[in-house]
Amino acid sequence: MGDKGGKGFSLPRARKSALKTPVSSGLNNGSTKSKQGGNVQFEGGLNFSPKYGGKGDTPINNGKGGKGDKGGNGGKGPEKKTPPPVQLRVEKDLPENVTCLMDCEAAQILEGIQEQMVVLSEDPTIKIPISFDKGLQHAKRGSENYTSPQSVKEILQRLKNHGVAESEACMIANIYPESADEVFSLVPSLKGKKNKLREPLESVLGELAKLRHSA
Amino acid sequence: MFFHIVLERNMQLHPRHFGRDLRPKLVSKLMKDVEGTCSGRHGFIVAITSVENVGNGLIRDGTGFVTFPVKYQCVVFRPFKGEILEAVVTMVNKMGFFAEAGPVQIFVSNHLIPDDMEFQSGDMPNYTTSDGSVKIQKESEVRLKIIGTRVDATEIFCIGTIKDDFLGVISDPTS
Repeated sequence: MGDKGGKGFSLPRARKSALKTPVSSGLNNGSTKSKQGGNVQFEGGLNFSPKYGGKGDTPINNGKGGKGDKGGNGGKGPEKKTPPPVQLRVEKDLPENVTCLMDCEAAQILEGIQEQMVVLSEDPTIKIPISFDKGLQHAKRGSENYTSPQSVKEILQRLKNHGVAESEACMIANIYPESADEVFSLVPSLKGKKNKLREPLESVLGELAKLRHSA
Repeated sequence: MFFHIVLERNMQLHPRHFGRDLRPKLVSKLMKDVEGTCSGRHGFIVAITSVENVGNGLIRDGTGFVTFPVKYQCVVFRPFKGEILEAVVTMVNKMGFFAEAGPVQIFVSNHLIPDDMEFQSGDMPNYTTSDGSVKIQKESEVRLKIIGTRVDATEIFCIGTIKDDFLGVISDPTS
């Protein structure tokens, strides 16, 4: 953890990893709060300031290796811009023949495989991988409140008919939000269609809640 | 998030395995080679669900090994930036806390924990609000948002945040 030059992280030049940046560097910069977020940069060049950053915070590095490396937080930097929220972009990164699975669906599939694995585990040369156990545990935790993945899928189909992506619908099912506002806050890509989606979303969430209570 | 995906792989088989059990041995070797591995593109291959097709084998010059193209379906787990998921806290320290969601490790830095939560050291290190109403400690379940991912040879590591609205502790192991 915190390796420099790891494959995916795009660490700013001439700057320590955010994970190694001591908290005291915030104090040295004259900020009033002890836990100054500063800015952290990860894969994809995402650059953001925490919401609760104090006054006078300037981005330490905008990925250009500029002067913000040491003591550049004199309040003279560029204006703080609100960074765009990190959005889910599954469909762009994965090939087309991929199906998103809700946690309850994955739990059903993995439990079926687990039963077969009990037989296979009698063969000493076959080891059940740790990722299987962890994956199954995670899926089961996510599926505790839904007994029928099929019903959940039918309910979510209504959202997909309104232009919600499959990955977004699966995520909504996994996190089981209580209100449409929660969904718009957690899934920023749907904010643009707020007016169109609010009613169908509220009705879908109502039906999902009924399924949960009956579980 | 879990995905069901079709992948293809070239499997090499030693001639000693040829015979009437060739296909079961090929499938068994595929499971041993592939299940539990991780790639940047597909994430963790959690389990193979079925083998769609085994192509014709090609004998490799000089060795006698035969290469079979195998198409198979599998369940994978891959985290994405922007994904909201629930994870279980595994370790807490003053830099932040580590959590696990399936086979994926997620680190939440103290910079991305709400300012009203302070680190408390001790036997059971934790982050607690000033009024003590909310606590993050080992075995707590938290809802977090993934904001960055890194892929190693064998695992995916993520950075998360709980500083946004509707994120944070879901359940406490002490309650």
